[in-house]
Amino acid sequence: MRPVLLIAGRECAAFFRTSAGWVTIALYTLLSGLWIALSTLRPGEPATLRAFFGVSHWILLFVAPAISMRLIAEEKRSGTMEVLMTSPISDWQMVLGKYLGAVGFFLLMLSPSLVYVGLLEALADPEYGPIATGYAGVILVGMLYLSAGLFTSALTENQVVSLLSTIFFFVLLELGVTQGARLAGPPFDRAIYGFSVLLRAGDFAKGIIDTGHVVALLAGSAWFIVLSVAVVESRRWR
Amino acid sequence: MIELRDVQKHFGTVHAVRGVSLDVPAGQIVGILGPNGAGKTTTVRMIAGAIPPSSGSVRVSGLDSVRDTIEVRRAIGYLPESAPLYREMKVGDYLAHRAGLQGLRGTARRRAVDSAAEQCHLGEVMRRRTGQLSKGYRQRVGLASVLLHDPKLLILDEPTSGLDPEQIAETRGLIRALAGRRTMLLVSHILPEVERVCDRILLFARGRVQADGPPGTLMGELPGAGRYTVEASSAGSLGASAEMVFGALPGVESVEATPLNESWTRYLIAFAPSAGDQRESIALAARSANLLIRELRPQATTLEDVYLRLMAYAENDPGLSSRAAPAAGAA
Repeated sequence: MRPVLLIAGRECAAFFRTSAGWVTIALYTLLSGLWIALSTLRPGEPATLRAFFGVSHWILLFVAPAISMRLIAEEKRSGTMEVLMTSPISDWQMVLGKYLGAVGFFLLMLSPSLVYVGLLEALADPEYGPIATGYAGVILVGMLYLSAGLFTSALTENQVVSLLSTIFFFVLLELGVTQGARLAGPPFDRAIYGFSVLLRAGDFAKGIIDTGHVVALLAGSAWFIVLSVAVVESRRWR
Repeated sequence: MIELRDVQKHFGTVHAVRGVSLDVPAGQIVGILGPNGAGKTTTVRMIAGAIPPSSGSVRVSGLDSVRDTIEVRRAIGYLPESAPLYREMKVGDYLAHRAGLQGLRGTARRRAVDSAAEQCHLGEVMRRRTGQLSKGYRQRVGLASVLLHDPKLLILDEPTSGLDPEQIAETRGLIRALAGRRTMLLVSHILPEVERVCDRILLFARGRVQADGPPGTLMGELPGAGRYTVEASSAGSLGASAEMVFGALPGVESVEATPLNESWTRYLIAFAPSAGDQRESIALAARSANLLIRELRPQATTLEDVYLRLMAYAENDPGLSSRAAPAAGAA
């Protein structure tokens, strides 16, 4: 486990050693803050962060791949992958460390949003249950996007290719689910809607914790991590 | 320390390494030479555990590079070409990170970093980001990073690639100092570097070892090693021409004469490569024939001569097997 934490720590710190990490945090905070200011912090609005969670799921569709795009692609481009591949660590440890590093940065990126909770507390009397489930949803969705980005990053040396392919994958998934469910109709549409990340995430924002959603999002993340390890391992055999 | 047995490596349809077998005993410094695409880097990557062989076996310190890959990697310090580093990290942080990956913790980790930094003279740049360093310093950081766990085997792939002459001299000195009690594989294009540093040379071409031996042996056995340049005058000779006198020496294969002026002629006398030192016999023959000699010197054979000749040989023999080329000695 120690090599995993070492790699995760380095990976997370690397975001803060370059401007990219700070810019990502600033953009996310700015966009979500604007949304909060325009939609929630208004007289008569309910004291919830539902709007913030809703917009976060969309923002993360672009921000999470931007975080994950460098994870392995940059190692391959700069040649440091060779250093990792000849270090006494397994491919599993390397990939998991990189993923956890990205998740760590993602959590730090989310942390300024706790200010919104403080604002709600100062201005009204919010319910903390939906806020907690909302955060759980954002974190699970972010983890899924990051794992998919990790996978595309393992497939290429080009960070932009990784970024775009992750975004396109999830956009096409949502479009495909919507159109597919509409065409299939009942009773199959329900099963097809199960593939929609945004629909599952929406329930968290409403304060619903559905075990099925939690398992689906975590299983999706695990699946992409396994694929990433397979891609890294295949480099040795190709 | 290293045992390769009939190692082959394919990348799709490309046959990068073709049946390489060799043994490297502990403490030996081995230079690996060859043109681009010869299979040098692929071979050292297999030894370092980065990639497995397609067939055959690679063992390091008795450990199989595929089955015991983590242990093999722990025993090796491998510096890939161009010394890749995390450019955003400070030198000290980078070395500490690499030491951590080698399983070092706490005081042992700090000591390893200090020791490697001292060996590679990095004291003054420990707080600078690696991306801000000159190529020479980056190379030193790379070298330091492979010393942290005090490996018994060092593999350095083109350690002076892209450096200026001053940096090359510095790095070469550092490599010599690091060799010490370690086994070292040094992949290089710079022939004088290999000639000066290494006990043994492996010449690769077309995925095979074309020659294997100590630099002196390789150079000594190359046709042309037994060649001598003699500048002589027949002015006071006893009748026989210098060409006849030198041509009558035992073991002489040819004598070429090039007149320099009315009195002096330069002779290029070629003996069989195994003839040994013939300077004395040439001088005695000249004295007995009353020839005047103003210069007598063996022709220097460089590693470059060996390299170019063997590469030409490999080029002209596409069906070459893993046997050594005729001019090469065996280690």
